[in-house]
Amino acid sequence: MDVPLILRNLFWAVTLLLEIGLLILLLRQGRHRSYPVFLSYILAVILQSIVVAASYRMYGSTSWHSYFIAWGTQSVVISARWIAVIEIAKNALSPYSGIWALAQRILLVVSLGVIAYSLLSSHNKWTLMILTADRAVELCIAAFIVSMLIFLRYYLVPISPMDRLLAVGFCLYSCFSVINDSLYEHWRLKMGQLWNYLGMLPFLATLLVWIDAVWRYSEVSAEEGRVALTPGAYGELSQKLNSQLEALNNRLDHLFRSGDKQP
Amino acid sequence: MNATLLGFIALAVLLILLLAWAVRLPKKAFHSVDEVLSALSEKRHYARLPQILQCLREEDTDFLSTRGRDELVTRLRRERKRIALRYLSQLEQEYQLLLEASRILARTAPEVSAIDELQRFRLSVRFVLWCRYLRWRLQLGLQPWDVFGILSDMEGEMTLHLEVAAARIGERAALTAK
Repeated sequence: MDVPLILRNLFWAVTLLLEIGLLILLLRQGRHRSYPVFLSYILAVILQSIVVAASYRMYGSTSWHSYFIAWGTQSVVISARWIAVIEIAKNALSPYSGIWALAQRILLVVSLGVIAYSLLSSHNKWTLMILTADRAVELCIAAFIVSMLIFLRYYLVPISPMDRLLAVGFCLYSCFSVINDSLYEHWRLKMGQLWNYLGMLPFLATLLVWIDAVWRYSEVSAEEGRVALTPGAYGELSQKLNSQLEALNNRLDHLFRSGDKQP
Repeated sequence: MNATLLGFIALAVLLILLLAWAVRLPKKAFHSVDEVLSALSEKRHYARLPQILQCLREEDTDFLSTRGRDELVTRLRRERKRIALRYLSQLEQEYQLLLEASRILARTAPEVSAIDELQRFRLSVRFVLWCRYLRWRLQLGLQPWDVFGILSDMEGEMTLHLEVAAARIGERAALTAK
């Protein structure tokens, strides 16, 4: 067995072990109740690793069978990842019904816009169709997460440290996948095996980020900063705001309008 | 490597940078309604506006100029300009505080109008840009009256939006209480 092949298998084994470790950690901490989709995603990734390894063993890594099995399972994994990201957004924003409805519309528009841009700007041959689609979806996921985090920041919505780290992991992985896919498209003949390593390294790092998040942060912290206003407080807050803004407005208007007349 | 591929890589790098910015914790975040209310109850800096405006007027130092105290006039104007700039920073902070409060209002509202929110976002961007412009004018020693007038209009628009939103929330809160 040659060195690159041993290295690839080693990478695979480490990744698989970490995936299984994360799955056990999620189950032991009872996270399957709050993160059922994330857990399903990790399960899908584990199954994909097993199925692809088996197909490589049966048909060889360069056969069409392995090619279709690898990309076919990849489509399932990407879909699961998409839904896991939506689950994070829902966890963070759904307690705030007003802005959650707004966020859904904004994030949908951003996602569709990025997918359309990615597909339209790639003038690929049909052989690179899957790679183009993969890159479009990865870019879409990254844009979705960044938009969501900016939205959360704008509205000062508290997000649990675990949700934040999960989102960071997803986003970094997607961004590096976009870079990796783009490099591969240009240097596909030269890159070969290197592309596989470049794809595995960010995922390995992402897994470590997720394990750290699940290990360190308890479920309770997710509920901490959430603000719940009573109907009485709504009225009080609204009145305070209005009076402050009105006072600022009136004072500025009066003084600066009169200031306009000054030489 | 063609421009499209470079574009994709640049987009991915841009997203990583935006991610780094977006995951930072906000400087000031209210954790409870009480904190919002107490922040709003504090005395506002814009109460000092008449004095600031007075000290920026040319005629305020005319007396010294006629007495030939040009050096003193220059120093006085420089110091007053510095105070005006500091005041402007405080005004910006206050505006930000009100904006944050309005976002909390939106956060707690059961229904949010996308158009209203977009308009408020536009207003805040405009406010920031005008403040930058005003700062620049002050630094160059130009009279800032007309710019302050524009800022005032923006405040007015924002107040109107908040009033409508608050009324809607109040109606809903009353219905829920019943």
